[in-house]
Amino acid sequence: MRSKPNRTKAQSEIALGTLRPKRSSLIWYVFLAPAFLGILCFMVYPILESLRLSLFNSSGTGGTWAGLANYKTVLSSSEFWHSVYNTFYIGFFQMIITIPLGFIFASMINSVAFAKNFFKVIFFLPNVTAIVAAAMIFTFVLHPDMGILNYFLDKVGLPTPLWLSNPGTAKWAIILLGVWHWIGFVIIICLANLQAISPELYEASTIDGASGLQQWLFITIPNMMGTFAFLLITGWIGALQRFNEVYVIGGPTGSPNRSIQTVVAYIYEHGFTGFQFGIASAATYVLFVIILIFTMFNLKLTKMKL
Amino acid sequence: MKTSRKALASSLVMLLVALYLLTGCSSSEGATSKKTGKWAGQTLTVQMIGTFKMQDSTDPITGQKVKGLNTLKEEFEKQHPGATLKIVTMPWDGYIQKTKTMVTGNQADVYQMPGLDSGYAREGDLEPLQPFIDKDHFDLNKYVDNQVEGWETIGPDGKKRIYGLPVFGDTRFILYDKKVFKDWGVKDLSAHPTMNEILEKAKQMTGKNPKTGKQNYGVYFSGKSPEWLIVNAAEAQNGSWGSGQKFDEMKFNFDSPEMLKGLNWLLDLSKYAPKGITSDQGSEKWLTKDNNIAIMLNQGPGSLISKINSQGLQKRIGIAQEFNNDEGKGGLFAGSPFVMAKNSKHKDLAWEWIKFSSTDFFQKYLWEEYNSIPVIKDAKKWKSIKDESQFMNPIFDALSTPWTPHYPWVNGEPRLELESQVQGALTGKISPKAALENVEQKSNEWAKQQLNNQ
Repeated sequence: MRSKPNRTKAQSEIALGTLRPKRSSLIWYVFLAPAFLGILCFMVYPILESLRLSLFNSSGTGGTWAGLANYKTVLSSSEFWHSVYNTFYIGFFQMIITIPLGFIFASMINSVAFAKNFFKVIFFLPNVTAIVAAAMIFTFVLHPDMGILNYFLDKVGLPTPLWLSNPGTAKWAIILLGVWHWIGFVIIICLANLQAISPELYEASTIDGASGLQQWLFITIPNMMGTFAFLLITGWIGALQRFNEVYVIGGPTGSPNRSIQTVVAYIYEHGFTGFQFGIASAATYVLFVIILIFTMFNLKLTKMKL
Repeated sequence: MKTSRKALASSLVMLLVALYLLTGCSSSEGATSKKTGKWAGQTLTVQMIGTFKMQDSTDPITGQKVKGLNTLKEEFEKQHPGATLKIVTMPWDGYIQKTKTMVTGNQADVYQMPGLDSGYAREGDLEPLQPFIDKDHFDLNKYVDNQVEGWETIGPDGKKRIYGLPVFGDTRFILYDKKVFKDWGVKDLSAHPTMNEILEKAKQMTGKNPKTGKQNYGVYFSGKSPEWLIVNAAEAQNGSWGSGQKFDEMKFNFDSPEMLKGLNWLLDLSKYAPKGITSDQGSEKWLTKDNNIAIMLNQGPGSLISKINSQGLQKRIGIAQEFNNDEGKGGLFAGSPFVMAKNSKHKDLAWEWIKFSSTDFFQKYLWEEYNSIPVIKDAKKWKSIKDESQFMNPIFDALSTPWTPHYPWVNGEPRLELESQVQGALTGKISPKAALENVEQKSNEWAKQQLNNQ
C-alpha cells in the first residue's frame, strides 16, 4: 500500500520529464498556427500563384498556357527596361544624396549641446508623413508657376524648371521627394550609431592632437560603416519597390511620357489597367531576380553578413 | 497522453473559433434574410462605385445634406417584399482591380461596371440581359439615345449583346469663360465649334488681359489624359480610332492622317496653354472668380453644376459640344452600366434591381443627391433638370451623340500608350508621326496578346 503512491510519483516524474515538453511544444505550434496560416495564405500562395500566372496568358480568370513567352515579352519590352532605368536612376540619386547628407545632419545634431531632441523630431517628421500625402503636397511645391520652390529659385536668379511637366526634370522631382521623405530615417539611424561610438576613442585622439575633422574622418566614418551598409541595402530594396509616390504623381504610366514609371508601376499598369496578368507576373519575377542579384552584390560590396 | 490530446483538441477548437470570429465568415443569407414575401430568403448584393454613402452625409462643396443609399435600399425592399438588399460601395480610386477581385470571387449579384469592355462578358462572367428584357417586355426606349447601344459588348461566342444597362451617364464637352471672351472682345464659342475656331480663339485670348492686365491662357486641356482629344479630333475630320470589337477583327487607325492632324492641332494649342498641362497643373483658378483660362477642353459633368452654382458663375460659364463627324457622332462614350453576374443565385431579383435603376425614383435620387447624370429621357421633364437647363440641355445632347459602340481599348494598353506618346510629343521628346506609329504598333501587339488570353 505504501509503495503505490511512490510509483505514482515516479510515473508523474517520468511524465513531467518526458511528456510535458512534447505537449507544451505542440501547444506552441498551435499558437504559431494563425501566423503560419496567414503566411501560407497571403504570402506563399500569392507567390506560387504569381509564378503560375507568369506562365499563362491570363486576364485574371482562365487563360492559356504561354510557357516562357511572357518573360520574353517583358525582357524584350523597351518600356520595361525604361522603367528599370527610371527605378535605378531615382534610387541611385536618392541614395547618394540622402545617406551622406543624413550622416552630416546626424553628426551636426550629435554635436549640438541644446535642442538635440527638437532637431531629431523636426528631421524625422517627413518620414512619419504618409508618402501619398507628401506626394500630393509636392505637386504644389513643384508647381511651375505657383510652387514655392520655383519662387525661391526665381528670387535667387536661378532658372525655374517645369518639374513634373517635363520628362527631363520629373525624375528629379521624385528624387527630391524621396530625399525629403527618407532623410529623417537616415538621420535617426546614423545618430543611434554615432551615440554608440566609444568616447574613449575621441579622448585618445584628442590627446594625440587630432582635429575635429580628423576625428570625424578617421574615427567616426570608419565606425559608421555597418550603418551605411544597412542603409544602402534597405534603401536599395525600398528604391527598387518604389510605387506609391510615382503612382500618385504620374499615374500607372508614370506621366509625362513614362519618365517616372518604375518597375512596380509597369507591373501595375499591365496587371490592373491592361489585365495582362501573365506579363505582370513575369515582370514581378524578373524584378525579384533583379532585387536578389543587386542585394547580393550590395552585401558583397559592403561585406555585410546576414 | 489523453490530457495532452484533449488540450491540443481544445486549443484547435479555440483557434478555429477565433479565426471564424476574426475573419467574419458569417453567411450573408441566414442571419439577415426575411422569411415572408415573394422574394423571401433572397439577399441581393449590389456593388456601386463612386462617392456613395449608405448613411446620410453632408456635401463638402455645397454644405447640403445628402441622403444615403439607404433611401434606395428601403424603397427596393419595400417594392420587393422579402428581399434583402446589400450594397457594397467603393471609391473610384482603384475600382478596376477591386471590381476584378470581386468578380473573380463571386462577391456580388450586380456590379456597376464602367469597365465593361475589360473582358468580363467575353470570359463568361456576365449574364446576357436580352432574355430578361424580352420576358418583361422592358422598354429600352426609355433610355437616352445611344446609351444602351454604347454598352453592347462581345460575349464568349463572339456575338455582340446587351450585358449591361446604363445607370448614370457621362460625357465630354467644352466649357468657356464668357467674361474672358468679353474682356478680349472675342465672340462666344459656337454650339458646335470646329478645331480651327478653337485654335484661333485660343490664340486671340493668350497674353495680358486687356481689362484686368493679368496673364490669360487661351485654352487648357489635361496633358495627363490627352488621348480623348486626339481621337475626337480625328472624328472631327471623319476619321476614327479604327474598327472591330473582337480582338481578331480589330483594326487601329492611330497612325492615320486624321490622327496626325489632330495631334499637330493639339501641339499648336499647347502654345496657348499654361506650362504645367502635362502634369495637370495650371488650371487651379478655373471655376473661380479669378479664372485666367478662356476655353477648357474635354470636360465632364461630375460635380460641375454644383461647383458652378457654389461659386455663382452660372452666367459666366458657357458650354459647347465636342467635335462630331458628318453623321453627328463623336466623342468619348462613358458612364456606368449595371451588369448581372453569371454566377448570381438570384438572377430574377438582380434583374429587378437593374429595372429599378431605370425608374424615375432611382434616377432622380442619383441626380439630386449625387449629381449623377440621368440616362432616361423622362429626366428632361423634372424640375430639378429644367432649373439647370443651361447646362443640362447640352449635356443631354452630348449624351446622345458619342461614338458608339464605345472604344473597346478604353481600359487597355492602347489608351495608356496613346496617353504616353502624346505626352512625349507635347514635351518635344518624340515627333508626332513617330509617336502615333508607336501607338499603332503597341495597339496591334495588345490585341494579339488579348486574343491569346481568351
